[in-house]
Amino acid sequence: MRNFWLLAKHEYRKMIGKRSFLLGTLGIPFLIIVVMGLLIFVITRGEDKRPIGYVDHAGILNETVRPPEGVNDDMVPMHAFSDETAAQSALEAGDIQAYYILAADYLQTRELERYYWQEDIEDAARVDFADFIRANLAAAHSDDLQTLLIDGPELTVRSLEGNREISSNNPFGFIIPFAAAFLFVFIVMGSAGYLLQVVTDEKENRTMEMMVTSVTPLQLIGGKALGLMAVSLTQLFIWLAVAVVAVLIGANYVPQLQDFTIPWTSLLIIALYFFPAYALIAGMMTAIGGAVTELQQGQQIAGILNMLFIFPFFFVALIIATPDSPILVALTLFPTTSFITVSMRWAINVIPTWQLVASWLILVATAVLSVYASAKIFRVGMLRYGQSLNLRGVWSAMRSR
Amino acid sequence: MSTANTPTIAVASVKKNFGQVKAVQDVSFEVYPGEIFGLLGPNGAGKTTTIRMMLDIFRPDGGSVSILGGELSEAKKQRIGYMPEDRGLYKDLKLEPTLIFLATLKGMDAAAAKKELEGWLKRLDLYEHRDKKIQELSKGMQQKAQLIATLLHNPDIIIVDEPFSGLDPVNTRLAKEIIEEQRQAGKTIIMSTHQMYQVEALCQRIVLINNGRTVLYGEVDDIKRNFAGNAVELEGHGDFASLPGVLEIRSQNGTHHLALAPGTNPQDIFRTLATRDGIKVERFEIAEPSLDDIFVAVVKEGKR
Repeated sequence: MRNFWLLAKHEYRKMIGKRSFLLGTLGIPFLIIVVMGLLIFVITRGEDKRPIGYVDHAGILNETVRPPEGVNDDMVPMHAFSDETAAQSALEAGDIQAYYILAADYLQTRELERYYWQEDIEDAARVDFADFIRANLAAAHSDDLQTLLIDGPELTVRSLEGNREISSNNPFGFIIPFAAAFLFVFIVMGSAGYLLQVVTDEKENRTMEMMVTSVTPLQLIGGKALGLMAVSLTQLFIWLAVAVVAVLIGANYVPQLQDFTIPWTSLLIIALYFFPAYALIAGMMTAIGGAVTELQQGQQIAGILNMLFIFPFFFVALIIATPDSPILVALTLFPTTSFITVSMRWAINVIPTWQLVASWLILVATAVLSVYASAKIFRVGMLRYGQSLNLRGVWSAMRSR
Repeated sequence: MSTANTPTIAVASVKKNFGQVKAVQDVSFEVYPGEIFGLLGPNGAGKTTTIRMMLDIFRPDGGSVSILGGELSEAKKQRIGYMPEDRGLYKDLKLEPTLIFLATLKGMDAAAAKKELEGWLKRLDLYEHRDKKIQELSKGMQQKAQLIATLLHNPDIIIVDEPFSGLDPVNTRLAKEIIEEQRQAGKTIIMSTHQMYQVEALCQRIVLINNGRTVLYGEVDDIKRNFAGNAVELEGHGDFASLPGVLEIRSQNGTHHLALAPGTNPQDIFRTLATRDGIKVERFEIAEPSLDDIFVAVVKEGKR
C-alpha cells in the first residue's frame, strides 16, 4: 500500500512540475479573468450614463418617479422637456443620449418615438426607459405589486420528491449543472487519456520491467491513475476557485450573477458517478496501453472507445425536450454513457430513484470488471516490446491466473 | 559449491509457454549466498523468461521457484535488486530524484536513500551530473545509474543482465569490483551475459540454457575439466579450419585454438594432421577449453 501512495505522489509531482501543466492550469483562469474584466469594462466604462430625455404629450410621466428599491437600481436619469425643440437642442449638445416622444394618445396606442444622434442607444437604456414608464404607470400601487408589474412573474419549478427547484430568475440553476457535467467529463476523459500515454511511455521507456520487481501491476497502474486524477482535480479546483472569485467580483457589476448559488445536489450526483466512471475508463485505457506497442496505435483505439462515453452529447436536444425518453433511460443504465446522461438529465429534471440506483450499481460493477481485466491484460502485455496483443491474447490474458 | 547450505534461489523444472511457443521447457538450478552465478545461453534460449519467472513477473506453467525459502512475496521483492536487459529510466526526470524514488519503492526512507546515494554517485563519477535529466547522460552514464538503482537499497539478491554493456574498460573494471564486493558481502548474485571472459573471471558456478532446457550446470572449473580434450592448441601453418571435427578456430600470434565437436578427441585431430599434405605443425597440445569454446560446442550440438 505504501508503494501505491508513493507512485501516486510521484506521478502527481512529476505532472505538476511540467511546464505544460502550468500553462494549461493558469491559462484557463487567465481566460476567465480576461473575460470577466472585459465584461465589467463593457458594463461600467462602456455604458452611456447620460440622461434620457422625453416629451410627454400624454401627461402621464413624472421624472422623479423610480421603480421600487431592488428593481433596476442603476437606471440612468430621466429628463422631461416641454417640447421637441428643447429636447432636440439638448440632444445636439450631447446633454442627453436620446429622447422619446409620448403622443397624447399614448395610453391607447402604446406607441413611442425615439430620437437619437448618429448611434442608437443601448439595450440597457431602452430597458431603463421602459421600466421608467412602468414605474410611473404603477406608481399608485404598493412596492410589491410595482415590482411584480415591472419585473414580471417569477416562475419556479419544484420537484415533488425533493427540494430541487429551477427559477426563471436564476438561469444558473440550469446552466451550472450542465457546465459542471461538461467539466467533469473533460477531466475524466483527459486524465484517462493521459493514463494511456503514461502506460505506453513506461513500455517505450523500458522502465516497466524494473518497476514491476518493486510493485505489483495493480499498484503501478492504480498509483499512476490516482496521481493523474489528483492532477486533474487540482486543475479543476484552481479553475473553480478562480471562477468563484470572478463571479463574486463580477456580481457587483453584473446583476444576473447575484443570484448565483452552488448546485450542491447536482455536484453530489456528479461526484457519485465520477469515481466509478473514472475507474471504468482508466481500466480501459490501461488495457489498451498494455496491449499495444505505440501511443499512436493506442490513441486510435481509445478514440473509438471515447465515442462510447460521449455518445449522450448527441442527445442534448432530446434531454432538454423529453428528459424521460426511453432512449435516455437506456443511456442512463448503460455503463459507459450513464455518467454524462445522468449529469445532464439531472440538470433539468428529477431522475427516478430506481434508475439512479440501477445505473450506479451497473457502472460500479463494470468498473470493477474493467480494472480487474486491465490488470490481467497489462500484466501479460507490459513486457511485449514491439509486439501487440491480439484479441485472442487479450482473452487468454483475462483468463490467466 | 558455496559455503552456505540453503539456497537463496531454487528453480526446479520450470516451464513457460507463450501460445504455441515453448519459451522454457525444463530449467533447474540453485544459487547460494556469497556466490556469483552465471546464467548463460544463446539469444532466445529462455534466460530472460527464467529470470522473469523468478521475479514473479511471469507465472510458470510448471515447476517451482523458491526465493529466500519460499514464494516471492512483496516483502521479499524489496530484498532484490534487478538490472534487466531491456533497461530504461524515466528520461525526462533528473538523475538524483529518480534514483531516490526507485529506492523508496524498495522500502528505503527518502532521507536515508539520499545520504547513501551520495557515496554511490561519487564513486561512479556521477555526482556532478546528479541534477541533469537522464536523457542528457551518455549511454555509459545511464548504465552506471542503472547499476546504482540496482544496488542502492542494499539488496540480498542481485540479478544483473549484461551489466557491462556500454561501459568503457575503466568503468567495466569498476563495475566488476563492485559486483565482487557484493559477493564478498555475502550477497547472492546472478549474472547473465554473453561476455564469457567476464563469466570466467567472476562466476564460480554457471547454468547454460539452450532451447529452454538446462544443458550445463555446475562449477566452472568442473565443467572446463569435463570438456578438456574438446580443444587443442597448435602452432604451425596450413588450413586447420577444414579438419573434420573442428567446430571453430581462433588464431592469435601464430597460435591456433581449435574447438572440437563432441565425439571428436585430440588423437583424431593429431592423426589427421599427420596425414594431411600442406600442413606443418610446430607445436601441438591439448588445451583447457574456455567457456567460450564450451558455449559454442554445446549450442552447436543443440542445433544438430
